[in-house]
Amino acid sequence: MDRRNFIKLTALTGSATALASCGNPEHTIIRFLPEDELTPGIAEWKPSVCPLCASGCGLTVRVMDTDVEVTREGQAGVTRMAVAKKLEGNPDHPVSRGGLCARGQAGIQVTYHPDRITQPLKRTGNRGEAKYEAVTWDQAIAELATQLDGLATAADQKSLAFVTARRSGRRATLVQQFLAKFGAPAAMAFELFGNDVLRRANGLSFGREQLPTLDLARSRYVLSFGADFLGTWNSPVAHAEAYGAMRQGRPGLRGSFVQIESHMTQTGANADEWVPVFPGTEGVLALGFAHVIVHEKLRPADAAGRAGALIAGWASGLEEYAPDRVSKLTGVTVHRIEEIARHFAELRPSMAFAGGPPLAHTNALFTAVAVNALNALVGNINEPGGIFFTPQVATADTGPSASGAAPSFDKLAAGIVAGQLPVKVLLVDGANPVFATPQAWKVKEAFAKVPFIASFGSFLDETSAQADLILPDHSFLESWVEAAPESGSLVAVMSVAPPAMKPLYQTRAMGDVLLEVGRKLQKPLDLPWQTYEEALKTAIAPLAGGKDIDEDWFAIRKQGGWWGNLSKPAPPVAAASKAPMTFVEPQFDGDVQQFPFHFLPYPSAAFLDGSLAHLPWLQELPDPLTSAMWSSWVEVNPQTAERLGISDRDIVEIASAHGSIQTAAVVSPGLAQNIIAMPVGQGHSMFTRYATGRGANPIAILAPVMEPETGSLAWAATRVKISRVGDPDGRLILFAGAKEEKPNEGLR
Amino acid sequence: MAHKWGLAVDLDRCDGCGACVTACHAENNIPTVGEMQAARGRAMHWIRVERYWEGEFPNVRLKFRPVMCQQCDSAPCEPVCPTYASHHTADGLNAQIYNRCIGTRYCANACPYNVRFFDFFNPAWDKPLQLQLNPDVSVREVGVMEKCTFCSQRILATTIQAKAEKREVKDGEIKPACAQACPAKAIVFGDLNDPESEVSRLAESPRGSKLLEDLGTRPNVNYLQRLTEA
Amino acid sequence: MKLPNDATITTDLLHPLLNTSWRFYLLVAFLGSIVLMGLSTWIFQMVMGFGMTGINNPIFWAFYITNFVFWIGISHAGTLISAILRLVNAGWRRPVTRCAEVITAFALMIGALFPIIHLGRPWLFFWLVPYPSSRMIWPNFRSPLAWDFFAINTYLTGSLLFLFLPMIPDFAIVRDHSTGLRRKIYGVLALGWRGTTKQWHRLETAMSIMAVGIIPVAVSVHTIVSFDFSMAPVPMWHSTIFGPYFVAGAIFSGIAGLIIAMATLRKFLHLENYLYPLHFQNLGKLLLMMSLLWGYFVFNERLTVWYGNHEADMNVFWVTQTGSFSPLFWTMVTVNFVIPVIILGIKRFRTITGCVIASCGVCVGMWLERFLIVVPSLGHKYLPYSWGTYTPQPVELLITVSTFAAMTLLYTLFAKFVPIISIWELKAGKHPSPALFPEGAREHPLGEVHI
Repeated sequence: MDRRNFIKLTALTGSATALASCGNPEHTIIRFLPEDELTPGIAEWKPSVCPLCASGCGLTVRVMDTDVEVTREGQAGVTRMAVAKKLEGNPDHPVSRGGLCARGQAGIQVTYHPDRITQPLKRTGNRGEAKYEAVTWDQAIAELATQLDGLATAADQKSLAFVTARRSGRRATLVQQFLAKFGAPAAMAFELFGNDVLRRANGLSFGREQLPTLDLARSRYVLSFGADFLGTWNSPVAHAEAYGAMRQGRPGLRGSFVQIESHMTQTGANADEWVPVFPGTEGVLALGFAHVIVHEKLRPADAAGRAGALIAGWASGLEEYAPDRVSKLTGVTVHRIEEIARHFAELRPSMAFAGGPPLAHTNALFTAVAVNALNALVGNINEPGGIFFTPQVATADTGPSASGAAPSFDKLAAGIVAGQLPVKVLLVDGANPVFATPQAWKVKEAFAKVPFIASFGSFLDETSAQADLILPDHSFLESWVEAAPESGSLVAVMSVAPPAMKPLYQTRAMGDVLLEVGRKLQKPLDLPWQTYEEALKTAIAPLAGGKDIDEDWFAIRKQGGWWGNLSKPAPPVAAASKAPMTFVEPQFDGDVQQFPFHFLPYPSAAFLDGSLAHLPWLQELPDPLTSAMWSSWVEVNPQTAERLGISDRDIVEIASAHGSIQTAAVVSPGLAQNIIAMPVGQGHSMFTRYATGRGANPIAILAPVMEPETGSLAWAATRVKISRVGDPDGRLILFAGAKEEKPNEGLR
Repeated sequence: MAHKWGLAVDLDRCDGCGACVTACHAENNIPTVGEMQAARGRAMHWIRVERYWEGEFPNVRLKFRPVMCQQCDSAPCEPVCPTYASHHTADGLNAQIYNRCIGTRYCANACPYNVRFFDFFNPAWDKPLQLQLNPDVSVREVGVMEKCTFCSQRILATTIQAKAEKREVKDGEIKPACAQACPAKAIVFGDLNDPESEVSRLAESPRGSKLLEDLGTRPNVNYLQRLTEA
Repeated sequence: MKLPNDATITTDLLHPLLNTSWRFYLLVAFLGSIVLMGLSTWIFQMVMGFGMTGINNPIFWAFYITNFVFWIGISHAGTLISAILRLVNAGWRRPVTRCAEVITAFALMIGALFPIIHLGRPWLFFWLVPYPSSRMIWPNFRSPLAWDFFAINTYLTGSLLFLFLPMIPDFAIVRDHSTGLRRKIYGVLALGWRGTTKQWHRLETAMSIMAVGIIPVAVSVHTIVSFDFSMAPVPMWHSTIFGPYFVAGAIFSGIAGLIIAMATLRKFLHLENYLYPLHFQNLGKLLLMMSLLWGYFVFNERLTVWYGNHEADMNVFWVTQTGSFSPLFWTMVTVNFVIPVIILGIKRFRTITGCVIASCGVCVGMWLERFLIVVPSLGHKYLPYSWGTYTPQPVELLITVSTFAAMTLLYTLFAKFVPIISIWELKAGKHPSPALFPEGAREHPLGEVHI
């Protein structure tokens, strides 16, 4: 080619390319003006609070600028925003002390989840089809107001039901005030792995109806009855920090710990002594220890005071709990019972606590009270190395209390299904009862009978898919967050933090939405705050006790909350009288011939009760015990597996009297022959692209057995049968390599 | 004196929770490979918590050990890389230079700890998960090896800051993501060349040992043994 | 069997060059399409990502490295036959040498492709070439992979030379028997060969030098390939036996490949008058010897590992001996040792067909041997938590199959353009020139077969 032609060709192609990119407005990207003033590349650290479990760990959030695709006034474009990049524990926070669990780390994926609901939605298809159309906030709020007005007009305010996650703090107060002023019953807190039995027991034994705070760091001997306190129970991050200090934080002194449980948990793996026990007999074992302590005169029986008096036979030497009887009932050897008892009494400060499966039986209250008595016997309540109760910030409430207590969730569902409880409007915030309840409770059927359901959820899950209207909340990083931890701290804590970043989408803080709905009713509710922030400020700023409330509020916001000693801590409550309790055999559902195995669903390290299954980092996090990722599984004892012809990864069916599920089997040495354990969290039929249609949900087949005193679900009381139904089909994914043969097998 | 970065992992504090694993993913832009690739053995956990069962029910034990790149002084991965992508830095780290890697994967074979990972595909994040990416850490393309760097971006940021302020780096000032997240404070990072540092003190512990020490790799992670009695 | 004379030698051996049937085109088309499929599979792999293979953590090397070692091993055929037999003046080598040298050249080229195919970023393979780059970084000469680069390139250069030198007089023959374009091309290739005594002398000297020089190169090549494994601290890789073991195995598989190639040529190019059962019997005896040697090495390696009872090694040992890899292991032992020793050790079975059957088994067995060296060890290193398994994926299978097709295709094309049996060497065998024979041979003309 000669030079002339070359230049012609270049000019032609060059201009063609240049022309192609202009003149077509659809291909240009609009850049909005930056909304934040942030130096590029320099991070700012802002406080926040993790809401993924009830621990309420204080966070510090790394915020940096980046380009974000946003929609402003219906126009799509790009803007420079300061966004959260990483979550860390706040080193100054009394609960987290700088640490953060894997779930908390993954919390950032809630904000950036691809399947977040970005704007209010109104249902167009049938319930459960997940067919929605976008509506504006004005429309959505108007719709909800109309529904509530309908109730008010018909003087039917009692037909409003509000289901929420179990929360304390101002958000709960706001909801409570809303319902009270409207005239509806109190909100119903739904919690699958609830601790109501433990609270009731603590109320009876110590006058504090509250979760215990464990001073592990100064303890010498810890006796845990089934509590996965380093994994999923109570306040795991606070416990882990204290545990590390207990082990190696005191030169020359190392605390020991004994785990008593029917199934090896992540916590149990760290025990110096792991004691397997028959399900539902933990209370007997505790009293067996007490018997030895008292009989060997290591501690006087009356040291247990009121807590001891709750046990029938305490004062007369606990004769029913002699070691040989206890050994027969629990499966623990006499020698072990005596040794542990002696250590518990002699290696002080010592502490004992119960949680998890032992408190999920029909005799759970007895178990909890028995363990409490042990603590009282060694005198560790409010003593270093013992059991404390986090001082609770009394929320200054104004206004009437709710008209009528809420029924428990199963009773609500049953009532709706039977037509006795005519709920007309149901509001759901932060709970997924359609997933996390036994099929026997018929929650889905109950929901079907409610004419109007609205959800504040950020994701389409089994419950919000039943909603007629979705008013999506901000993610916690985009919103004011708070937590009033019930445990995990020796001082009172009221965590609160402003949004760490601006909202990505057209979501709104649930508190603000409720307040606006309250204003938009035909008969406005006249709540004392304009915004959720105001509700927080009026209650929390005064805790600092200063003169200038704005200054105090600024300081509290900057720190991520207020913590310290309360000027007026709440006093213990006078105990409700209760007749002394005796051991009653735990009741199990299912005939033992037909259903020979105890079924132990347990909160998984990654997903707890399933509410975190939508976060991809957690799906890919190898389970501590099995290393499983993206899977559900069931754990089977090796002899049982051999007997039933089940090999590792085989597909098995687990059936109770109330349903059956199929999943892969993992042969595990961490449980007895008559126990089948399965983690909770997978088995969602709808919960974003990462969790939908994955695995099986053990909650579905649980029997509706209740603990009689509190009405809590006794989720460890179901019996099942198990059978092999198929070869491994690849659904179980393990990170750890399979050890095909024992090494050096050939050598005899 | 030049720094020599090392870790001490106290197995008596570690409770196997896995916070370090997710924290590392968040800090280092590690791709989530997804269910299918995880099933094929391609999950990329730069730090993993190994667990080993011992015994049979009821006398069964379970032990945890967080394993990450040991930043060996005699790293077997270094001589075998034909393009010097795996090389030793002046401050005692084994650096993986992504843009020098052509993906022979010899280093991964040579590593006895199996702490090297390969990008089998170009990483992709379902939008807008990519907004979380750490701008201080490169995103690796398909065909290169990657591994734990002791959070070299944090080391770099702090050493630069200290230099600008004309002072030494303080012990405990640098915390890799795993050490920072660990609620039990089981992971300690520091300068092994500083005899006063926490990590040096822990390295002297009679409970201390190194993983696969007899292979002669001279790793710089000290594991403090878990005890069984008070 | 008609003993060929000078005229028939030329016509018979030039026949494939000068006459092409439709079968040839069909074969080339068939093989070519498989090769194209292999190429496009590789491109697919590069575009979609290396994850399309079955490679995973911890098994980072599998099929491609197995193929690499396998083909480099096959390439040792030429060296042994050509160089060693030339050096000891074994006359029966004459119809065999070029077949063997061709295998070497093509097997090397194919084998050398695999280090590139198995790269994560193959478009950067040239960083292994030591050139003064703008980044001032040279390849890491401490790395066995860098040694591979030099060794294989050296061997390839040497082998091509060693192949080309004896082809010069034959190119001259073709030139003299053809016209037009063909005459022109072969004229260029013949490098002006006139057959003068001086030229013959130069040729023979060059060939002698190459014959002596190529042997240590060949030994070093496969030793260096073995260093890829023995230099890494992987259980059952880190063994001093790997050098000789690999070289012996390479020669073993090379002879097997040669027997198969020769038998195929004999059948399809009607070379029954040139490739006698005696050739196959001699090669068969060599194959038997290599089979015994191979068995010795395997026994040696496994006995010392088992006796030494080092834990990490024993995990790999048992998984191949009795565990999940044992079917492959025992198949390998059967087809590499049991069957060849029986077939080749008993004279009645040592026919052409017998030799071919044994050789096919050896090819399979040697491929399995490479696989069993690579994969079980990588799957069972020091930390059992990280043990893993491997399943080959379609891309690996397709590319592997296509390399066999590529070898066959290249061989077929070569036989179309160059006489597959060295014409001048055959003739020289009939008329041995005194100058070509060392002193002693004239006095003791034993072991000479004149045809």
